[in-house]
Amino acid sequence: MSDAASNLLAPTNEDTCGPYFPIYFADPALEDLTRVDPGLVGQAAGTPIILRGRVLDRHGELANGAILEFWQANAKGLYRTPETEGHPDIDPWFHGYGRLRSASGAYEFKTILPGATDGRAPHITITIFSDGISRIVTQMFFSDHAGNDADPVLQSVGDDAPKLIARHDGRTASGAEVYVFDIIMAGAGETPFFDDLES
Amino acid sequence: MTPQGRILGIGPTDNTSDQRTPRQRLRLIPEQARSSFVPVVPARFITRSHEWDMTRTAPDRPRAAGVPIEVTGTVRTQSGRPLANALLEIWSANHYGRYRHVEDHSGLKLDENHLGLGRVLTDEDGRYKFWAISPGAYLARPDIGRWRPKHIHMSISGGSSRLITQMYFPDEPNNAADPMAILMGGAFERNIGKPRDVAGADVDEAFDFDIVMGGRNATFFE
Ligand SMILES: [Fe+2]
Repeated sequence: MSDAASNLLAPTNEDTCGPYFPIYFADPALEDLTRVDPGLVGQAAGTPIILRGRVLDRHGELANGAILEFWQANAKGLYRTPETEGHPDIDPWFHGYGRLRSASGAYEFKTILPGATDGRAPHITITIFSDGISRIVTQMFFSDHAGNDADPVLQSVGDDAPKLIARHDGRTASGAEVYVFDIIMAGAGETPFFDDLES
Repeated sequence: MTPQGRILGIGPTDNTSDQRTPRQRLRLIPEQARSSFVPVVPARFITRSHEWDMTRTAPDRPRAAGVPIEVTGTVRTQSGRPLANALLEIWSANHYGRYRHVEDHSGLKLDENHLGLGRVLTDEDGRYKFWAISPGAYLARPDIGRWRPKHIHMSISGGSSRLITQMYFPDEPNNAADPMAILMGGAFERNIGKPRDVAGADVDEAFDFDIVMGGRNATFFE
């Protein structure tokens, strides 16, 4: 995109969040999307899942201080955006945006399994911020979903598709399905990342 | 010309950047999936009313050491639309270059009157304002004598716009050698606050820092 050739304002540069993103800004409501608040009646529809894994650097070491942001559709496969406002399949107790900061580089995110829709297999977009980088973006999928084979994102990365698919790892005593998804920021086994500026 | 994803730059002399920057060219998103890559952050009104003044820990506490500054600006998308009700999360080092963060082990001096944390919302016209202590520079690479120039971290989220950036200060001797500034090249000047008159505010310096949220995501629902 050539800004010089258009009337667009020149964007402020993205920059690293550095190592000291304030833990003070943590918001428990964004780390568990299955319910609105522990003291309130109101809970997202769908299958509760725990998505856990590690963010690793190119030497295989944990990337400490990483911030992960999640974006996903509700159990019926509908994203909550200005375009879907008022849609009958909107879940009033699910907005689909999550965020956490991992001190160690290992993470755990509680949410519901997103639904499949519009030719897309269930998926969650993950944005990663950390020291040393500005912003990188990927999208993860769930093992054993018949729709994975036909998903355009998985197809687009070819032989790298398995790197975007979380492994199912059983069910917790409280009934949440567990999925494991490691993110390799660089080097051998590097996770495919996507360009939302040039695409 | 066939579009291609970017290859991300690695910040010179930045070990963490070397460890964490993806080496592969970023993949293009298939058009059918493009909208799924546009997170929409719900409005979050979680600021505390005193957090716009980071020069003290609370309204009835003394001023922290150093130079109090005011920072104001407008947050817009690239098409010029002001971003209302956006959340700015702000963090910065104290006068001595130390963060009050449990993982900052620099040993630099802490200041009992300084937290270095603030959250403000943009108003209906996309305007924001906060006070802070002008942060100290700090030695990032003692082995090669490379400093991080004075900077204030800002994270902005609202609607489909998302940006984490830093505001730098004009004419700072350490700006030129900063790894991220080097990667920005000539565009670095956009990230420098513009000095202006304090206009009667109870601060010693004031800066304008207009923020433009880049990329297609920010304008997806316009
Ligand atoms: Fe910093």
